[in-house]
Amino acid sequence: MKRRNFFRSALTATVLPAVVLAEQTPTQQPPPAATTPARERPRQPQSAPHLAVTEVDVTAETSPHFFTADQLATLTKLATILVPPMKGKPGAVDAQAPEFLDFLLSVSPKDRQLSYQHGLDTLNAEAKKTFGSPFAAIDPKQADKLIRPLLVARPWPQDLPKDPMKSFLAQVHEDLRTATTNSREYAAAASTTGGRFTRGGSGLYWAPIDPIS
Amino acid sequence: MAIKQYDVLIVGSGHSGGMAANILTQKGISCLMLNAGPEADYEKDRSVKQVYELPYRGFNKPGRLPHVFQANEFNANQWVDEQENPYTIPPDAPYNWVRVRLLGGRSLFWARQSFRLSDLEFKAAEIDGSGENWPISLADLDPYYSRVEEIFRVAGRKEAWPQFPDGNFVETSYPPDTETIRKVTEICNKRGIGVSKGRSALGKDGLASSVNLLLPDALATGKLDIVENAIVREITTDKNTGLASGVHFVDRHSKREMHVKAKTIVLAAGCLESTRLLLNSKIGNSSGVMGHYLVDQMYGVSVVASVPEARDGKAPSGLMGGGSFIPRFRNLSKDKKSDFIKGYCVTLNSGGSASPNHFPLYGEELQQKLDSYANSCVSGGIFGERIARYENHVRIDPKTVDHWGIPVLHIEARDTDNERKLCKDAADTIEEWFHEAGWEIVCKTDRVNPPGYSIHEVGTCRMGDDPKKSVLNKWCQSHDVKNVFVVDGASFVTCGWQNPTMTILSLSMRASEYLSEQMRTSSF
Repeated sequence: MKRRNFFRSALTATVLPAVVLAEQTPTQQPPPAATTPARERPRQPQSAPHLAVTEVDVTAETSPHFFTADQLATLTKLATILVPPMKGKPGAVDAQAPEFLDFLLSVSPKDRQLSYQHGLDTLNAEAKKTFGSPFAAIDPKQADKLIRPLLVARPWPQDLPKDPMKSFLAQVHEDLRTATTNSREYAAAASTTGGRFTRGGSGLYWAPIDPIS
Repeated sequence: MAIKQYDVLIVGSGHSGGMAANILTQKGISCLMLNAGPEADYEKDRSVKQVYELPYRGFNKPGRLPHVFQANEFNANQWVDEQENPYTIPPDAPYNWVRVRLLGGRSLFWARQSFRLSDLEFKAAEIDGSGENWPISLADLDPYYSRVEEIFRVAGRKEAWPQFPDGNFVETSYPPDTETIRKVTEICNKRGIGVSKGRSALGKDGLASSVNLLLPDALATGKLDIVENAIVREITTDKNTGLASGVHFVDRHSKREMHVKAKTIVLAAGCLESTRLLLNSKIGNSSGVMGHYLVDQMYGVSVVASVPEARDGKAPSGLMGGGSFIPRFRNLSKDKKSDFIKGYCVTLNSGGSASPNHFPLYGEELQQKLDSYANSCVSGGIFGERIARYENHVRIDPKTVDHWGIPVLHIEARDTDNERKLCKDAADTIEEWFHEAGWEIVCKTDRVNPPGYSIHEVGTCRMGDDPKKSVLNKWCQSHDVKNVFVVDGASFVTCGWQNPTMTILSLSMRASEYLSEQMRTSSF
């Protein structure tokens, strides 16, 4: 075990938050100033104030960086069509689901990244070929002509069709729905409309349990 | 400092290790238990969070646990990390190895379905001609099942059906069945198929685990020490006697190498970890069958139907809700009529909803369909028995090691026509029942999740009377190294369709009592 972690685990037995203590372990103390006699060195504090912090999502927006501008525009259009606002609940665009998926895909395995990139590019190219406009600019009826043939009923969410475009549409539809119903915006609307909360919600979260260093 | 001496070393702290410690210490035998992971603190390590507060909005970190379909972002930290503890598989044969290394192991999180095996499983070779019989029968295990059921407080309904042996159940009353469950029951009964209820371990205070039902009594004797974060690398042997002398283990955090001696080693690390340890130690495999006959149950076959009268929130009271359990009904005798051997059980649930993936729709149209079908569905799923086959096996992968430098397992398990035919029969059969009930089939699939998904993996050190065909004798004792016992699911000869926990616990209890008697009357 690294020395720092030894102190961390020894000290977390007290009531103080581990993060505060980790910053104040003896190894991290600056050496005492030459003018301070050793016996007058400050003792370890017994406590420190616990300050309120604000969750990042209420202060800032995700900055998309994974998809190209055209891909993000296509994804945003898909979000508008596949998961619109319904019954007083926010839709995927209100829940910033496209921006969240840009982040999620940026840290996803390569095969999933390729599936998304290929899927978005293909939809955009099909729109241009069929209707003379990018996917982001076509109307819902035109979009339906491209989307509907790709929809497949599946027994389990993890059953993905073999056809790459059908598989992409199943994934992006599922991901947009989950990113929407699991959003802060959706939770806020669900609590005010009193509607049945079908997804998301709260759960018992397990923190990392004594992780190795 | 003087090092403590122990009679028995127990590797693993789940149901089987907990039972061994419980029995042995109460017979006055001193035990040391080594557990590969830490103890979870249910107060400190858990907290209620909103899903939007999680870093990945509930999606879980992509690629983190590719083989644990049960993982989500709330529970991800309870499973074994696949990067620290890898295993390898062939590209064409996925295998889901789902592990927990916390103190108490998978006994912390199991689904608590509590069934006995029947002689259809113990004597399967006589019935269907496949594989080997177990060297024991239900009669041998019956008294142990009864004691385990008492400790775990199993609730169940007695039926007196040979394929579904009754147990020592706590008194339970069941609410009257809803109309949908009654309808399926009538349809099944007409076909001579018995419909019962699930059997569940109630445990104590909402927990039915080694950590609250088995280990506290063992610790209270003063005869048990538990060491956490001790990852066992290898069993050491005495060159003169050929017997096991102790184990080498490594500290999970510091990687400090340690050795501990004991008179007897009891492996309870879970079927595949115990087998990996034996294979890495190169002992106990004169039969050549160690690692082979890996088997578990098939999950994934599913039929969902919607009850028309229950749509649009109009279900009258008493129509929807509840469930039932249909134990194996195929191939109960030698004069079978199916085009496959073995069988499956069916679980039925009423009152659920359809899922978005069931409909090729989107937007408002999809939402209207989901709203209309909400709480109108009856679903049927199966646990199907696979055949224990020599080809399905684990071996040491010499090219891959875990975080502690211990060689990992290579797992190879594939299904055959028998598994596919069984699953097709199950999906067709459930569909036929729902169709006869007049319900609309929403989804039907005979596709199965990868092996291992059921978390019921057993076999790989099967028991038998013939040391040439088996690794363990009928007491879960190594044929080759008499002071090594394997008390987890590794000793199974067939897997049955039943959840294996009650059988694992009963086998561990029986083996531990045998061991304590051996230690009292003789030395190895």
